[in-house]
Amino acid sequence: MIRLMIASMRSRLVPIVLVIVALSASMALLLAVDRIQQATKNGFNQSLSGVDLVLGPGGSGLELVLYTVFHLGKPTNNITTETVSDITDDPMVEWAVPIALGDNHRGYRVISTTDEYFDRIKFGGDQPLVFAQGAPFSDLNETVIGSEVAEALGYALDTSIFVTHGSQMIGKLHDDFSFKITGILESTGTPIDRAVFVSLEGYELVHLGWQNGSKTVSLQNLDINAIPKERLYPKTVTAVYLGLTSKLSLFKFIRAVRDYPEEAISAVIPGVALAELWSIVGIVDSVFQLLNWLIIGISIVGMVTMIITGLDSRTRELTILRALGLSPPKLAGLVLLETIIISLTAVLSAIVLVWFLTVAAADLLNQWAGVRIELTWLAIDELSTIMIIVLAGVCASLIPAGMVYRRSLHKGFSN
Amino acid sequence: MILETTALSYDFGSGKKIHFPDLQVTAGEKIVLVGPSGSGKSTLLNLLSGVLPIQTGSIRLLGQQYSNLSPIQLDKMRANHIGIIFQSLNLIPYLSGFENAVLGLEFSIARRTKVGDVAHAARSLGSQLGLTPNTLSQKPDQLSVGQQQRVAVIRAMLGNPELILADEPTSALDPIAAKKFISEMNSSAEDSVQAIIVVSHNPEIIPWFDRVIRIEGA
Repeated sequence: MIRLMIASMRSRLVPIVLVIVALSASMALLLAVDRIQQATKNGFNQSLSGVDLVLGPGGSGLELVLYTVFHLGKPTNNITTETVSDITDDPMVEWAVPIALGDNHRGYRVISTTDEYFDRIKFGGDQPLVFAQGAPFSDLNETVIGSEVAEALGYALDTSIFVTHGSQMIGKLHDDFSFKITGILESTGTPIDRAVFVSLEGYELVHLGWQNGSKTVSLQNLDINAIPKERLYPKTVTAVYLGLTSKLSLFKFIRAVRDYPEEAISAVIPGVALAELWSIVGIVDSVFQLLNWLIIGISIVGMVTMIITGLDSRTRELTILRALGLSPPKLAGLVLLETIIISLTAVLSAIVLVWFLTVAAADLLNQWAGVRIELTWLAIDELSTIMIIVLAGVCASLIPAGMVYRRSLHKGFSN
Repeated sequence: MILETTALSYDFGSGKKIHFPDLQVTAGEKIVLVGPSGSGKSTLLNLLSGVLPIQTGSIRLLGQQYSNLSPIQLDKMRANHIGIIFQSLNLIPYLSGFENAVLGLEFSIARRTKVGDVAHAARSLGSQLGLTPNTLSQKPDQLSVGQQQRVAVIRAMLGNPELILADEPTSALDPIAAKKFISEMNSSAEDSVQAIIVVSHNPEIIPWFDRVIRIEGA
């Protein structure tokens, strides 16, 4: 009987192949979007790793993460370095990396920090920052740039750059002091790729002589070596990345920060804030998912339509089989089995298609969007998606199967 | 007696009801059913084959009362004991003549067991009906109507089902071919003592049958 069904399907090869192509393409689309969504979500949630808390001025934790991790928006407030010292002197704190934001270089956010940043900050789970070329800055006039900055602006080691005051490209240029590129980071797929790093002291230096957003004294008129070191230590920073000695002390530490009496400050757990942020941007993703399911629904309707349309031309075939003693349930079973074979073939094709797409597009996606897709044949959660699709196909095929059943029950041979 | 019907009638609704004459068919007997169009000849074949459910009356084949059988048992009865030939389009287009000829054995272990060597039996019966192995290897669209009808005869007769039902099997054939076909079919059935009931409008084939039963309709 199986041989008979396969022969029957072979006789209708073109429409069946077209249905399989449509179904597998829509399934592949769903799986691909699902994988990209998962990879984006992972990348998003792992934009910042290895950091237990982000300490910043009091206010929205979400906002703090937006400008410290994603370089979006402008910090509304800073925290004093005295406060930072008070907090980081706590024995619960293992390490602290302050950052100060404010300037940009041709639209790319300038992050002033310490060289410890490159050791402490991780991404994508627990991956350390790696220098593609050069090394961290060690002097006032040195800078490290992210991979996208280097590629987009065509920068190499030893290139000298200026930074612009403020977060807008149209701001005033700090043209009296240039930074020499000493290191270029490897791509991370995170906002780090789009950042320019300078030392806190270097950042402080270019702002010497600035009052109310205007330059009053040019650094060219000053002997930089004569400036005392403590003069270059910042009085405020935007935020501080913190690592604690023990994760168990996390909430106790957050409470201590909240209760700090000298200044309104807050500490947020990056993972929690990122998850909160994803729940907002994830709505767009849900719309895509819905569209994909609609495409699959349309493909299944197409498959069932093809089978129902084909039933009329197969009336004689089904009548002969009935005359030979094949019972209506078995005839209906043949139609059902045919749908299962079509669905499973489409599923296998979709899996192979997605695998090839992943192989072909993984690097491109990583470079273009910083999305890292894992190369797997089929993930567990994808399996459940596929099961739903096959089940939906089988359920839908109950319609033509039922038609065959009723028709073969009520119609005689001469009809 | 292999087949017996009693007080069989069929109500088509809208006031059309046909009463069929009682039939008693013995093994090897050849019967032709004649009557005007719409008189219910094909309906009687459908009832005899167990495809249409009996409304009133009874049918007994090989001692088994149809009304006592479940639908699945009826299908099994048809697969094992009844061979069916249609008036045309008897064959499944995507199977070769040979595959069509042996198709009935796919659904009946009893008939397959009786046949033994399926390929030999099909070719031997084909040879009696004038079909060469080469002809049998071809697809239906490469066969003439007469050849297709002969393949249908092999399919109906292979495995010696006790009853052959044929619904106007010669309607697509010219008069000479029709007589030749009936003659060959009957002689094949004689060898295996199979009863044949044929529906036909063609009076010229009547001499080849043992009995003529007229169906008058409603």
